[in-house]
This record gives sequence, structure tokens and C-alpha cells, in this order.
Amino acid sequence: MNTYSIFSFIAVILCIILSFWVVIKRRSPFSISFSRVCFLIGIWTAFPFVNSITKTDAEALVFTRLLYLAASFVPYFFFRFMFIVMEITSDPNIKRFSLFSLAFAIFFFVSCNSPLFIKGVVKYAPYFTVVPGPLYLLFAIYFGLSYGYATPKLLKIYSGSKSHRRNQLKYIIIAFFLAFMAGTMHFLAAYRIPEIFPHDILVITFTLIFAYAIVRYRLLDITIALTRASIFVIVYTLVLGIPFALAGFLGEWLSIHIGQNWWMAPLVLMAILATTGPFLYIYLQRKAEDRLLKEQKRYQDTLKKASLGMTRIRDLNKLIKLIVHVVAKSVRLNFASIYILDNDDVLYRLGAEKNKSNALVSEISSTSSLINWLTKNKDALVFEEIKRQMHDHTTEELEDLRSQMLSIDASVVIPSFIGDRLLAFMVLGEKRSGEIYSQDDLSVFTVLANQAALAIENARFFEEAKEMQEQIAQAEKMATIGTMADGLSHQINNRFHALSMITGDTMDTIHLVDMSTYTPEQKELITQIRHSLERIQANVVQGGEVVKGMLKYTRKGDAGLMAITLDKVLDATLEMVQYKIKLSMIDIVRDYPKDIASVVGNLTQLQEVFFNLIDNAYDAMMERKDTLKEEGYRGRIRIYTENVNSGFLTIHLEDNGIGVKLEDFKKLFTPFFTTKVSSRRGTGLGLYVIKKIIASNHGGTINVSSTYKQGTRFTIELPMHN
Amino acid sequence: MPVRLLIVDDEDDVREFAASFFRKRKIEVVTASSGEEAVKIVVSQEPKIVLLDIKMDGIDGIETLKRIKELNKQIKVIMITGRDDEEAKQKTKDLGAYGYINKPLELDELEKMVMKLLEK
Repeated sequence: MNTYSIFSFIAVILCIILSFWVVIKRRSPFSISFSRVCFLIGIWTAFPFVNSITKTDAEALVFTRLLYLAASFVPYFFFRFMFIVMEITSDPNIKRFSLFSLAFAIFFFVSCNSPLFIKGVVKYAPYFTVVPGPLYLLFAIYFGLSYGYATPKLLKIYSGSKSHRRNQLKYIIIAFFLAFMAGTMHFLAAYRIPEIFPHDILVITFTLIFAYAIVRYRLLDITIALTRASIFVIVYTLVLGIPFALAGFLGEWLSIHIGQNWWMAPLVLMAILATTGPFLYIYLQRKAEDRLLKEQKRYQDTLKKASLGMTRIRDLNKLIKLIVHVVAKSVRLNFASIYILDNDDVLYRLGAEKNKSNALVSEISSTSSLINWLTKNKDALVFEEIKRQMHDHTTEELEDLRSQMLSIDASVVIPSFIGDRLLAFMVLGEKRSGEIYSQDDLSVFTVLANQAALAIENARFFEEAKEMQEQIAQAEKMATIGTMADGLSHQINNRFHALSMITGDTMDTIHLVDMSTYTPEQKELITQIRHSLERIQANVVQGGEVVKGMLKYTRKGDAGLMAITLDKVLDATLEMVQYKIKLSMIDIVRDYPKDIASVVGNLTQLQEVFFNLIDNAYDAMMERKDTLKEEGYRGRIRIYTENVNSGFLTIHLEDNGIGVKLEDFKKLFTPFFTTKVSSRRGTGLGLYVIKKIIASNHGGTINVSSTYKQGTRFTIELPMHN
Repeated sequence: MPVRLLIVDDEDDVREFAASFFRKRKIEVVTASSGEEAVKIVVSQEPKIVLLDIKMDGIDGIETLKRIKELNKQIKVIMITGRDDEEAKQKTKDLGAYGYINKPLELDELEKMVMKLLEK
């Protein structure tokens, strides 16, 4: 036993573990292929170890030849693996070359037992080497050619690759270079070129890199993987090497000084080193990573700080803009955006973006596979991960996810949750550096995203509260105006009344004057004064009309309710409405049975309700006609009834007018809200008053549904008579 | 004996100009600024016609109408009101008001009504 055989032993174990691990972790052509190479390398690499435990040369030769049964297939399977990595397995040239290589492998496999291949094994202290037969050189050349053929192709693909794939290939290239070097050292040793350090250290490094690279490649950057592996190897070389060196070189000296139990010294040393080893390893690793990840740490700190400040921002728009800005800038992304759940929980809408994206959509449905995935997994979604999974087996879900991520130009999607509710998600483009997203990155982003969710919720709540407060204030104002209006309008009316008296009397006085003795100038003056007074009088009358209108709206139910038929209400309404609108321009359809039950209501008030509704519908239909200019369009109002709610008659009044825009919908019943342009009048009080009449005066309900460019339907429920 | 017209309104301007208007027509006008005053004048001066504002401080037009009618059923009372109030209209009609005019009134309209009354 020496360091050569110990490293060999470690390499064998690692190779075999790795080869099983990758297939257990994921069964794909890629992992199976790698597993084969790794397993065969593992057997081949047992050479120093196996020889160190065999007793005779003959026994060593037998074992070595057995190992070479596996070794003979290493170039072939390496070759296969390379072409799977390069995704060029279907190339006919490659297929031919592959077959050719397989033939060689079989040839060497068959020749293993022959002295033409391996003559024997010698201990070429402190390591073992093969005594090569003529075929051994051929095998070494075959080995070299396989590597030499595949590697330039891989390098070419590497140089043309981008970001993530580039990193992936980097791992593979470096790892296999190490394995190739290990093999080369092994071959060279057979031709008496000394093996200055155990070549299996390279094999160990190879396995460690792959362990990171293949199975967890997205978690670590190559430099980190390499650094960690190197630190590991150095630390454990020291831990294991020093005691053995002690035993090997100073064994005699120790036995003289300590006596029979001299071997205790290296053992104790080993125990001490083995205990300190992990600490040393961790310490060195942290130091190294602090240096390597300085940049990453910098932006992670920035993001952490930013996430703390976020909850203080109360303006939602400002907030999400800030989030994408901070993320894109500190991580140096080519693009970042954020999608926020809409108020109605149906859509995620693009809220803000930093830098121009290639995103095709600005809305993602909350039932889409992307949202489902995020809700289910509550984790960051990485585009490369999807691509890799699809590489193994494509499912419809993965295909959907892929196309959705493409449509929003996402490299990574980070969800923002409040409890189980996906409030928003952040879309990150590629890093400008082309580096991959590390696990550290993703966890920082996740923290940020969750902080963002809180901040968004906070801002939303604040905005809603503000809006509600405004509404309450508005409602209060309205109520105050309502009660004030009554008194105010009387006051104003009294002023008009007085004015009317003054002007009326003055006009009368002038009228009665005998102007026959007046000069023409005086007559002219009188005429002018009279004209002015007439104008004053006219304005007073007009003002009086305004006040009258105002009083109408503040009036409380001034008469009792009685049984009344819908027909009667509509007749009365149409009689009134015909003076305002051209009934010949539209159709009004009464689509309800003649024997329909009466409602309990006030004719004048209900007349006003239907007057307003028909008048509004008319305007909406005229607007549709003017704006959409549809061929053969004709306005149509349909009035029909239902008996849904017992004791109530449900009356629908449906028009095919322009409809209500979504943003206006909530404000429909708000006083003074009007969409009618000022030239076409509209106080914005119509629906407000209607609602008051129906709800407060009649104990009924009124609701509305509308689709812009299609029409509006009002549904009124009035208590039925008996 | 000239016709006596009583104008009841708590607005000085209204009283002044309405009075002026009718005086030009050889009608004797007296004015009252409140319901109480109006009732006193009805007792002391027995006007033939009363123009009565419905809404006033103190006793309102309806109450004043009631008292006037209690004193003298012959007096013709024209109610002047600020709004189109069916209820008040009905009530004053029941109490025996002769007519009902909305504010702001035009004097021509009032003149017509008064002249019509005088012709009777």
C-alpha cells in the first residue's frame, strides 16, 4: 500500500459511485452514456490498487488483464458520450467512426489475454506499470486518437455556444482533459516515463468535477467546482499523505526512538489531521469563494438591502419599476420584468420591464402551465432546466412551459408568494456576462421576490385603502351636497325670485313711461336698458330651471307606492321620451307576457327610471352607429321579465349599444360620472338617481352588465304586488 | 274703494318691487314680512287678495293660509312656492288657496292671475 494505491482506491470508489449516481438521479441517454464511461474508467483506474494487494506477479497479471477488459471499451464509450454531448449522434460519419471504434474495442477486448497486448506487470517503485506488448502501443494510440478526434469538435461547439451551454461544455472539456491526462500518464509509465504523482488524483478530480457538473451543474460555476475540487484534493493529500510519508520515510527513525509501537505516531498524526481536515477544507473553500464570488456577493448584498427598503414604497407602479431596475442593474441582466396578478385574479399582467425584451405577450393566464408550475413547485423556474428535462423526455407540459418561457423571454422565472397566493412573478433574462444562475443567485432572488410580494401587497393595500378613502370622502361630499342642495336651491331660488321681481317691475316701469317727449338719445338709452333687463329676466328664468332640476334629484319620495303594471310605466315613459329621442330610429321590443304581475311602485319615479335608461340606451346605440359604422346596424332595446326572486319581478332592459368600457364600469352609478360628451349633455346624475329611486324608494335592486361594443343590460328587481 | 292687495314675503326686495308693480296699476298694496304680520294685517285692513310665500321663517305660508282662511274665507290667497311640490300644492288647495305660482315668477304671469281675480 502506498499513496498511489490509496488514490487509486479512492478513484475507483468515486467513479463507481458517480456512475451509479448519475443514472439513479436521472435516466437519460446522456446520463447512461456517461455512467458507462465513468464505470469503465473506474475499473481501469483500479490498476495500482489491485496490483498493490496481489501477492505474486502472475496474480497481478491476471487481474491487470481483467481490468483491461474494461479499459478496452473506454475509448469507444468515451467517444459515444462525446457525440451525445455534441448532439451529433445521427451524423453518418460519426456512426461510421463509431462502428470502427467499436471494432477496435472488441479487438482489444479479445486480445486482453494475449501477451501481445500485456506482457506483464512490474513494480516500478513506488508505482506499478504494465509491461507493454506490441498491441499496447496500438491501444494507447487508439485511446489518443479517440480523444483527439472528439475534443476539437467539442471545442468548436464550445466556442460557438452561449451562456449556459457554454458552461456545461466547459465542465465536460476540463473533466475529460484530466481523465485523458491520467490515461496518458498511465501509458507513459509503461514506456518508462516516470509517473511523478499518482495519476489517479486526476481521475478523482475528474469525478468531482463531473459530480458537480453533470448532476448539479446549474448550482455551481465551473471555477468554484474546480476550486473546491482542488482544495479538497490538496487538503486530503496532506491529511493522508503526511502520515504515510512519515511512516514511509521516517519509519525506521521512529522505531528507533519510540520502539515497537512507532506506527502509533503516524496514526495519531493522521487522526489529528483527519479531524482538522474538514475545518481546513471549509476555511480554505470559504476564503477562495469569497474571492471568486466577490461580484456575486456584491449584488446579492445590494439585492438584500433593496429588498428591505421595498416595503416602504407605497406606490405600486413605482415599486415594481424599482424592483426590476434594481435586479437588472445590480445583477447586470440584459432584461428583467415583473408580472402582477390582476385585481380579478384571472391574469398576470406585465407590470414593469427593464430594458427592451423580446417578450411576445404582456399577459399570462392564471390557468396557464407556467402559473401551475410555479404554484405547485413554489420555486424558481429555470429555462435551461426545462430544456434539459426535455432532452431526457419531452412531455406536453414541458413543451408548454418552454414556449411560455420563450414568450416572455425568460431565462429564469422567480415567483412571489403571499401564503399560497402567487401574487407576481419576476422574469429574468440572461446575465450580460453569460454566466449561469447559481443556486445562491436563485435563493437570493427568491428572498427578494418574497419580500417583493409583501411590498406589492402592501402597496396594493395602501392604494386600495386610499381609493376607498377617496370614495368615502366623495360619498360623504355627495351626501352633504345632497342635504345642502335642498336648502341651497331654495336660497338660490329666492334670489332668482327677487331678481325676477326687480327686473319685472323695472321693465314694467319703463314700459309705462311716456317717451313721446324724449330725445332720440334718451329713447335709445331706454331701449338699451330694456334689452338688458329682458336678458336678465331670461337668465333668471333659465337659472330657475336649473334649480328646479336640482330639486328634483334631492326630492324624497313624495308620493305613495301603488300597484302598477310595467306596460303603464313604459307607456308613460315612451310618451315622455319621444320628445327627446327619435323613436323611429330604434326598435323597442316588449318581450314579456301581457298578464304579467303588477309591481309596487311610483309611476312618476319609475317613469323617470325608464326614461333615463331608454335615453341612455339611445345615446349608446347612436354612439355605436357613429363610431363602429356597422353595415345594417339598427338600435334595439328589448325589455323582458323573469320571476327569479320570489316576491320580486325581474325586469331586464337590454340594448345593443356601444356598451361600457371596463374602466368605466365601476363608476356607472357614481354621481356626476358621465361618458357623454358635454355637447350631448348628461349631468352624470341619471344612474345615480335611478339607483336611489329603485333601492331606497322601492326596496328593489338594480344591476348592470355590459360588454364594450356589444351592448348593455340593466336588470331591475321590483317588489311584486301581492 | 280701491282693491287692497297684501304681499307676504320675507324678502325685502320682493316686497318692494312686487308692491311697486301693482301700485302702478292703481292697486293698494300692503306688505308683510312674516306670517304673523300678515295675519294682523288681514284682521286690521281686510285685503281682498293675498300673495303668500310658502316658505318663511316663523309660521310658514301654509299655516298663515290656514289662519287667514279661518279669519276670512272670502280672501283670495295666491300661494308662491319655491318648488314643484305636489303635496304642498294639494294641501294649500284643500285649505282653500286660490292659485299656486312657482318661483321665480314672472310678473306678467302674476299680473294675469291678479287681473283675472279682479275681473270677477
